[in-house]
Amino acid sequence: MDRTVPDRAGWQHAHFAAVALLMTASVVVVFGVVPGERTMGVVQRIFYFHVPSALCAFLGVGLCAAFSALYLWRKDDRWDLLAHASAELATLFCTIVLVTGPIWARPVWGVWWTGEVRLTSTLVLWLILVGYLVLRSSAENADQAARWGAVVAIIAALDIPIIYKSVEWWRGLHPRVLRATGGQGLDPAMEKTLLLCSVTFFLLFAYLLGQRYRLGLLARDVEVLTHAARRAAASGPGAQP
Amino acid sequence: MNAHDPNPLLALLAALQDAPLTRFATETAAADPGANARRFRFLIGAYVAVWTILAAYLFTLSVRLRRLSKQVRRLKERAGL
Repeated sequence: MDRTVPDRAGWQHAHFAAVALLMTASVVVVFGVVPGERTMGVVQRIFYFHVPSALCAFLGVGLCAAFSALYLWRKDDRWDLLAHASAELATLFCTIVLVTGPIWARPVWGVWWTGEVRLTSTLVLWLILVGYLVLRSSAENADQAARWGAVVAIIAALDIPIIYKSVEWWRGLHPRVLRATGGQGLDPAMEKTLLLCSVTFFLLFAYLLGQRYRLGLLARDVEVLTHAARRAAASGPGAQP
Repeated sequence: MNAHDPNPLLALLAALQDAPLTRFATETAAADPGANARRFRFLIGAYVAVWTILAAYLFTLSVRLRRLSKQVRRLKERAGL
């Protein structure tokens, strides 16, 4: 991989345009095309952004753990930059899940929050991710931040199967529609809408990951250039021995 | 969750199993307009929250990118690169 920040402005603009177009189409379909749900009414439409956000959060955590493992194996800082970017995006999408979930729960369950396992394990994931970002920022150097971050990322990844299987292992209030069996899954129109929204969110995730990785590369360049400037100033003609 | 499945046999089986029905059935009957109006406010609130969070992140990301790009350019100029 090239060590300098790649300039792919054309691709980035095309990617962003595709995301914006798909996002507009998703909003039109969610609000104007897909039929409403009988029991919950219009508020069920939160589902079309809530679930893709959760999938993106899971993807972010999975990628963060995978890139972290690659960093520990290869000791290449590019993997660490990608892991850091993935963790930040996982935090972003997990925040969206934790904000939209209670807004959906209030009119349907009558409460903003319950001690249900899926909700609690998702909150635990968010806290681990915030901990990851805080830990990295408080590390003494880049290598320490990368090593500590890698360990926390692998711990965060262990929470994903618990969140995913929680509705099967502990029957709670949270709906189980994605892997429901016996004809209890999604209505076909709702399934297609969810697919469209998921594709849109995955494309948005990919765009943001590219931009966040670029930010990491730029930050590394600033660090390298600043060190070089300091060294040059120290070894210059007026430098003290 | 208390959903209505069009198949009564399926609903009965699920009730016998004491399992929550999870199908998101499409709307066929007119719902209570007052309740729908209240729920619509929650729906709008959720989407506004999603857009606000995403827009805020995109904004901070672009600000950080611009600031670092400028910094790199300045450092390269100073180093004569």
